[in-house]
Amino acid sequence: MGNLDKLKDIWQNQKESTIQFTESDINKMVHKKSSSIVKWILIISILEFLLPNIFLLFTDFESTKEVYQDYGLSNLVLFYSIVHVLVILGFIYLFYKNYKNIHAECSVKKLLQSILKTRKTVKYYVYYNLIMAAIIGVHMFYLIFNSQIFIEKLPENVSMLAVWSISLVILSIAVLLFWLVYRLIYGVLLNRLQKNYIELQK
Amino acid sequence: MTKEFEQQFVSELEKNQGIIHKVCRSYTNNETAHKDLFQEITIQLWKAYPKFRGDSKFSTWMYRVAFNTAISLYRKSKRSVETTQIFDNLKELEFHEYDDTQDKQLQLLYNAIYSLNDIDKALALLYLENKSYKEISGILGISEVNARVKMNRIKTKLKNILNP
Repeated sequence: MGNLDKLKDIWQNQKESTIQFTESDINKMVHKKSSSIVKWILIISILEFLLPNIFLLFTDFESTKEVYQDYGLSNLVLFYSIVHVLVILGFIYLFYKNYKNIHAECSVKKLLQSILKTRKTVKYYVYYNLIMAAIIGVHMFYLIFNSQIFIEKLPENVSMLAVWSISLVILSIAVLLFWLVYRLIYGVLLNRLQKNYIELQK
Repeated sequence: MTKEFEQQFVSELEKNQGIIHKVCRSYTNNETAHKDLFQEITIQLWKAYPKFRGDSKFSTWMYRVAFNTAISLYRKSKRSVETTQIFDNLKELEFHEYDDTQDKQLQLLYNAIYSLNDIDKALALLYLENKSYKEISGILGISEVNARVKMNRIKTKLKNILNP
């Protein structure tokens, strides 16, 4: 351990840093905006909460209502809308609670935990959206494919099996694509934190 | 927040800035990044200051916020240029980096710490600062037993890097 004691000596006898700040420098710093990851988590999370719903703003409600009625989807849409709003509120509440728990003065492990937990809330929200998209998609296909209008329009030489297969493949690809893109964004933001958290657990 | 409260914080920080510089030098490899990280740590300390009640030592509290910023919160930003401009009245001490063996060895030591991962950097720094297992466990949020195990590992790592 002799060598290590020498290292300690060198460390403890080090002169003041060559960079020194005066009180007025520090005063200016205090009023600067933080560029911490927490700010990005908030911005990205809000976007994630908004994005799955934003397309609703551009929907032509009157004409979609007619389509829903024609295909017998009105009740379904109403049911899922109510569930969706309740779930969003639940997620926003959880997110806010976890977000408020991020404090720079807690221990290193606790901070990593609370950041990862906050992000996990949003991750589950995004997964919820993807799963719901799949469920609603299949449910809608079922109602549409069995509706009178659809059956009348369908050419005779096309089998229902083919219609179902193609629809499900397209739906799966869409969901999978979203999931991959999301994993990528999520990874970029939190890779380092996850690595550090695992390192601390060892 | 009152002006006096802010002034109290600023002067306390000015006196204890050595701690932050050590953390910055361990986690960055150039002056611009060092100053940028220093600024972010200062902002985080100031945000946390109202909650500092003196249950722990000011220095322990500073370490915790500084490590948290360096390990978890800080993301290299593009404001480095801007940061450099703010400190035009920076009081630079005379720069005598390599004029004696002590400084050279210190530089090597910092290089060794910089080559470690984020968590090990903190462990190495706390080891060199002679912190107790209790204090280390409090800063990192791990058990004292785990702190002891990690300390032994970091000693071996430092030895391996500096004396191949």
